[in-house]
Amino acid sequence: MALKKFIEELQGKKEQALLLGGPHKIESQHAKGRSTARERIDRLLDPGSFTELGMLACSDMPGMEDKTPADGIIIGFGTVNGQRIGITASDFTVLAATLSRVHGKKMHDFKQLINQYSLPNVFLGDGGGGRVPDGQGSIGMTSSAMMGTRSIFHMYTNLRRAPMITAIMGNCFGVPMWQACAADFVVQVKGSTLSVSGARALQKIIAANYSDEEMGGWQIHAEHTGITDRTAEDEEDCFRIIREFLDYMPPNNRELPSKHPVPENSGRNMDKILNILPEKRTRAYNMYKIIQSIVDSGTIFDLKPLFGKTIITCLTRIHGRTVGIVANQPMVNGGAMGTDALEKMTGFLCLCDSYNIPLLFLHDSPGFLVGKEAELKKVGAKVTNAMDALSQVTVPKISIIIRKSYGQGMFSLCGPSAGPDFLVAWPSAEISFLDPVVAADVAYGSLPDEEYQKLKNQMIQKASPGPAAGRFFLQDIIDPRETRNYLINILDIIADCEGGGVGKHLLANWPKQF
Amino acid sequence: MRIEIAAPMPGTVAEILVDIGDKVEIDDELVVIEAMKMEIPVCSTTKGTIYDIRVKLKDKIETDQVLVVLE
Repeated sequence: MALKKFIEELQGKKEQALLLGGPHKIESQHAKGRSTARERIDRLLDPGSFTELGMLACSDMPGMEDKTPADGIIIGFGTVNGQRIGITASDFTVLAATLSRVHGKKMHDFKQLINQYSLPNVFLGDGGGGRVPDGQGSIGMTSSAMMGTRSIFHMYTNLRRAPMITAIMGNCFGVPMWQACAADFVVQVKGSTLSVSGARALQKIIAANYSDEEMGGWQIHAEHTGITDRTAEDEEDCFRIIREFLDYMPPNNRELPSKHPVPENSGRNMDKILNILPEKRTRAYNMYKIIQSIVDSGTIFDLKPLFGKTIITCLTRIHGRTVGIVANQPMVNGGAMGTDALEKMTGFLCLCDSYNIPLLFLHDSPGFLVGKEAELKKVGAKVTNAMDALSQVTVPKISIIIRKSYGQGMFSLCGPSAGPDFLVAWPSAEISFLDPVVAADVAYGSLPDEEYQKLKNQMIQKASPGPAAGRFFLQDIIDPRETRNYLINILDIIADCEGGGVGKHLLANWPKQF
Repeated sequence: MRIEIAAPMPGTVAEILVDIGDKVEIDDELVVIEAMKMEIPVCSTTKGTIYDIRVKLKDKIETDQVLVVLE
């Protein structure tokens, strides 16, 4: 029975593949406080839901076949809370999950399939970089992407047909960096690193002595580059965050995110919302408290909370429906929007537009953080980019002017003339070209004090929302305590429209990083 | 354990809302900084007792300068 023998051999090979790079490598991975690729897959997916492709794959380098189970990358399908996804996990125990021809072909073919099926795609990164000597020499390099003239692009592109998630779970270089920069959502586990090149290579090439941590530790990306959206305390936290993100998203760009039950106590603090907003117009307050009061209890999923903190971008639910919120944060720099914050907002507009998530804008900002530093960081380009993106958003947009909304800043937060479907103000709104006090200083600063004070007070009075509502430049002025009810009604109206708020995804091809 | 509460941005101390020995909760306002024509409260990040106040009214302060120490 030749076939029986073949089946037995096959069984042996598959059992071998499950042992990854061998007990020593697994032990060393565990000693770093990290799990193996297969353990990670088991912990993220619903039990027993994994279907693997390419378990028998191995390196094409002669003599390396037995040392490269699955060739360092494990791919397949599974479910997360019942939701079907594709999963790709770097196996650090096999040659540090370096990229080789077979490894690359697995990733490429799988990505094609995922795109064809429009399934959410999770990449669990650990290791990476090119494999030496596989890629050396003219044949090595030109064949490194193996399958044809366009076979390399899968590493860098994300067509946003279905959510793409990248988790950084070890010391990652090369491919995981491209996968992070192309993803819709990136989470980095504390203790992992993410950089284009590693410290060892850098030392050899430019004699620079930076550690991996200094080049790509979690704080670098959470606070400075904004490449990551969230930081996880540990691997378990990382999986929890991925599950939560998926819960806010639709399975693909043709569907709406699923409607969730409304948690008890949602909206119970609406009566107290007036206590959050200070009486004094120059006093800052924490915008998160306003958001918490309005949305369903416990449903603020912050994106890039430590990057560009003058703007808050978060996924939330209102009466069970996913809503993306862009809000000024007066507690940071008085809410004056910086270049990082503008980048963050543009990326968030692309995300919400691509996945049929209606947008809510909450205004309270004196404008942009200007000055030489801002100019050096291309503030003009960042503002234009954000406006260009806003003009192409086709999901429903709701704007609420909480307090300050001045000049270009008013437009940037989807204010009047900048495309809001629904636009209202709180009675506390101040709308003008410049902060009225600044404007009074400019226009009347040289007048005697009594006259100046009178004109300044007139200027402040003119900034109130009433006159604009009278001309229907604002659709309404609402009692702040009615904000949640107002939004529930608007979202009901949107849900009843043709398509229920599914957009045209004009921003799907925009970059994910700016 | 002592926890230092630092200034999130440069500015001037406009108000000091606590005294040494006061008990505070998370999010309680401790000091108000005037910056960018705004008064920005600096809040407690933890529950505790005020151990030290390192600034005076009208002091010019820099980012990350310690304002208050909690115990």
